[in-house]
Amino acid sequence: MSYVFQFGIVWDHLPRLLAGAWLTLRLSFGAFAIGLALALVLAYARTAGPKPLRAAIAAYVEVIRNTPFLVQLFIIYFSLPEIGLRFDAVTAALIGMSLNFSGYATEILRAGIESVPRSQIEAGYCLGLPRVSIYRHVIAWPALRAVYPALASQFVLLMLGSSIVAAISVEELTGIINTLQSTTFRAFEFYFVATGMYLAMALGARLLLDAVYWTLFVRGRPVERAWAR
Amino acid sequence: MKRRDMLMGAATGAAGMALLAAVSEKAQAQAPAGAPAGGGSLDRIIKDKKIRITAEVTSPPFGILDKSNQPDGSEIATSRQLAKDLGVELELVQVTSPQRIPALLAGRADVAISSLSITFDRAKTVAFAPPHGALSIVIAGPKKTNIKSATDMAGKKIGLTRATLEEATVPGIAPAGTNIVYFDDIAATLQAMISGQVDAAGMSAFAAKSVGDRNPRAEIENKFTVRTAYYGAAVRPNDYELLQFLRTWVFLNKHNGVLADIYRKYTEVALVELPAM
Repeated sequence: MSYVFQFGIVWDHLPRLLAGAWLTLRLSFGAFAIGLALALVLAYARTAGPKPLRAAIAAYVEVIRNTPFLVQLFIIYFSLPEIGLRFDAVTAALIGMSLNFSGYATEILRAGIESVPRSQIEAGYCLGLPRVSIYRHVIAWPALRAVYPALASQFVLLMLGSSIVAAISVEELTGIINTLQSTTFRAFEFYFVATGMYLAMALGARLLLDAVYWTLFVRGRPVERAWAR
Repeated sequence: MKRRDMLMGAATGAAGMALLAAVSEKAQAQAPAGAPAGGGSLDRIIKDKKIRITAEVTSPPFGILDKSNQPDGSEIATSRQLAKDLGVELELVQVTSPQRIPALLAGRADVAISSLSITFDRAKTVAFAPPHGALSIVIAGPKKTNIKSATDMAGKKIGLTRATLEEATVPGIAPAGTNIVYFDDIAATLQAMISGQVDAAGMSAFAAKSVGDRNPRAEIENKFTVRTAYYGAAVRPNDYELLQFLRTWVFLNKHNGVLADIYRKYTEVALVELPAM
């Protein structure tokens, strides 16, 4: 095959590509923040709440984790308007990504919470801490530290999975790339560049999340520092 | 292969991209058996007794899945006719609308017969046979959307499908302030129109008729006709023998009425006079 690569056209459209990548980043970090906040509440209720609530959250997690993300998006974007709940494409994408991430993060955090030794929790009770403080300081924080690498991986999956929201007309990186390749027919060039941009964003996010881990859990804590080496 | 172009391109992205480009170059040097080196497809089709044609099954009435989930539609019937006239077996290569040209260029299919309208832009990348069908692009929408001409689209949200004729024509006539949003396949565009996520959408007149018939509650109507276009089969740019065969094939089937029969069967309208090419 004699395909001639022409990357010049990619340069012409660089501002649109960067705008798309920026929306991808905003959606990903936004969904990460909302999803994680939701997951912290859900994971608490999942482990310490009354039995019906625990069952309901377990069901939520299973539904989210065992249905395709694209179908979840279609329900939010195409089906909810039928019952009067209308979101524009970007909002629908943010909601979908947040809910999807919260399902996975709840399960990850639950594993972290269950890894906290009973004796540590009992020590909290002995100190007379209120229940919420015990959850915050004795359970959630160490649990978060234990599962942080898993959460970071999940974030990268979230960001790469965000390419799916192009299907509901969101002009994030993949949406822009699809539009550009279909109007210029330089599919290979644009897909290569998209691959490079996603790779750079994923590696950048990894570095950033590692730095956050270091700041939150390692810096100024001699014991952890020793372990981190 | 322009090496300098490639190197410049590689410098634009991360190191990973340069790696990918290098890998793809290598892959081209040793093209797999299924992907012929540009021309000469006709000989191979006759020798292997098999032709691979794109099948896009989300744009009624050109390509759909029938009740038993098999590809059907006027373009599928046209593909079957082509295979029959060649005396070879037909392999349908299922593609989405934006993949029609990439699949052809990548060698996954020998011919693209998926209601590809003949345009200057496309003609720069693929070689077109003379048209074997025609379609009108319309702006359609629910009754409550007040659009009578192109200028009324200002301030409205208009849905379009990527890599279609509507994507190539509607933005050009849309006044400033038109909010155009893009979907990957016609099914999503139609769904967006029915669920009210867009005020109106650009599509073929047949798609508008079909979606209107199937969703009477949505009260879909044609707002105005954007353009009438002709579509034809496309091959890779240097596939001259196959292109010449297609020219002859269109001539004969135009003459004996087969193309008109296929068109009427699926679209329920008569085929207009097809211009020569």
